[in-house]
Amino acid sequence: MRRRALLLGSPLLLLARPAAAANELVYVLNSGDSSISVIDADSRQEMRRIPALREVHHLVLSPDGRDLLIADSGGNEIFFVDPATGDVRRRERISNPYHLDFTPDGRHLVICSLRRNQVDIYQASDLTLLARLRMPDKPSHMAFRPDGKVVYVTLQGSGTVAAVSLETRTPMWEAPVGREPAGIVWHRGKLIVGVMGADHFAVMNPETREIERQIQIGRGAHTIFIQPDGKALWATSRVQSRLAEIDPSTLDVRRVIELPGGPDCIAFAPDGAIWTTLRWAGRIARVDPRTGEYETIRVGRSPHGIFVQPGRVES
Amino acid sequence: MTESITHTLDDITAWLFEHIVQPAMYQLGLMDWAEDAVDWIEFGLFGIFSIIVVYVVCRPLEAWWPVEPVTDRRAIRTDILYTLLTRLGLLPLIAFVLLNSLSAWWEGTVADSGFVPPTLENLIPGLREMPVLAFALYVVILDFGEYWRHRFQHSFRWWWALHSIHHAQRQMTFWTDDRNHILDEIIGALWFGAIALLIGVPPGQFPLLVLISRLAESLSHANVKLSFGRVGERLIVSPRFHRAHHGVLSAAEHGKNYAVLFPVWDWIFGTADFRRDVFPRTGDPEGPEALATGGWVRQQFVGLKRMAGAIAGRSGN
Repeated sequence: MRRRALLLGSPLLLLARPAAAANELVYVLNSGDSSISVIDADSRQEMRRIPALREVHHLVLSPDGRDLLIADSGGNEIFFVDPATGDVRRRERISNPYHLDFTPDGRHLVICSLRRNQVDIYQASDLTLLARLRMPDKPSHMAFRPDGKVVYVTLQGSGTVAAVSLETRTPMWEAPVGREPAGIVWHRGKLIVGVMGADHFAVMNPETREIERQIQIGRGAHTIFIQPDGKALWATSRVQSRLAEIDPSTLDVRRVIELPGGPDCIAFAPDGAIWTTLRWAGRIARVDPRTGEYETIRVGRSPHGIFVQPGRVES
Repeated sequence: MTESITHTLDDITAWLFEHIVQPAMYQLGLMDWAEDAVDWIEFGLFGIFSIIVVYVVCRPLEAWWPVEPVTDRRAIRTDILYTLLTRLGLLPLIAFVLLNSLSAWWEGTVADSGFVPPTLENLIPGLREMPVLAFALYVVILDFGEYWRHRFQHSFRWWWALHSIHHAQRQMTFWTDDRNHILDEIIGALWFGAIALLIGVPPGQFPLLVLISRLAESLSHANVKLSFGRVGERLIVSPRFHRAHHGVLSAAEHGKNYAVLFPVWDWIFGTADFRRDVFPRTGDPEGPEALATGGWVRQQFVGLKRMAGAIAGRSGN
């Protein structure tokens, strides 16, 4: 009888149990330390440090949101992490993965190998290598045309942008953009490219391959990211150490935040905060975009890629 | 303490790079190499730190119980120059510039073949969770590779022509460790690259362990009458063990005690000399005087000339 009462009462007990909250996590790839720092965004404390093999630089969330793919270029592998817990699910041996991203339809995974001058196109479902393209010099970052038929790759050593057809898996064209191009995004029919050897981002028309304008943000223009709500673009410069907010319609610089330490990659938190790695300082910064104020947290050496896993409430 | 030293070196590196090196590289149009520059600053700072540590440990030992009196300070000054050029990164930087394109081509060629070079952690998955053990295993395997490279340096006439620079020193001290021909260093880098193709490169986050191995290598050249005892002599290369290798009767193919860190390789392959009371004079009586007492440039030139002669089948001197 007592046991029956307990069984009947257990759903009520479950309902009465307080909801367990999973905190917002920030993943930071320490390229100089062969490790990944997992930071609790609320407490700013490092919760754990995941060992990598050699040199982790970039990461991307799988299209279904289930896996965080972390590329270890020096270790020749990609490992798949549960973004909610930081647990490593599996590893795949891949040749020198540096920057990586999925095509908009999620069917292909494209990987740039900076050191080996190659761009690889993989079938996303099983990581079968479909094509390996030998590129001139240092393929760095990439952006896709929204229809997923073309990927644009910056060639850091050549000072160019190359377009690669994902239908024929062959290079289409290569056009000069400026010294040591790095980050690149597709924005309203244009390509915006960080020209690291200069003080500006170049706006390239992919149809004419002409540079239509320059966006001055500071020496060592590096990467650029689109705010999730589309109301701003955020760009970094690594020499002048700046974070710049750019108007998505006019492409004018709205404001510049001085951020010592060499800001590099950016991730956006659901509360609007901007997290960025400070490459030379061994730190990350959490920037409040409303006030421009920021705080820094020490992580590993040469932090590069960064990702924010939103918190959630588990009932 | 290790963490605070590392953080201090990192902070100095960051400041130097951000305020001096990176702005200069930007002006010179060298931003393509910015990330490599950080590595080189770290290399140089760590080099300074390791020279200080080696000096603090080895110099008092040499003063306390020397094998022989110092009679040729000029020869030691040449060795100091070798050490500074190597440890502060200048010679490795030249090798990097010379080999970088070759390295990218080679890695691309290997990738095109479909072979993805493994790491020890791929081969032994349990090592993933034990990075210090993984590093130690790399040290052991690479030391085995160094044993054989060292034997080949003594076996091939053209290679001995380069390596004899290292053996020509009659006033051997802890500074002698880096006394090598630049071409010999490049061959060493290629040798290391070949092994890395099979087992990967060791993880780079253990500066303390690297420092200890450097200290052991420098100490093995020190002018100190020190043996590590019956057991210790078989575990780690001592000043006594390595001095026997540098002895005047051990030059070229007559060599003994080739090991760099672990004498076990000499033990296994029958090249060990464990006599603990033998501290011979060092030098290469058959080598030209320029290799013993010439300056850095002259030694490099003569070494190259001798190598060319050896390849052409002429007398080595």
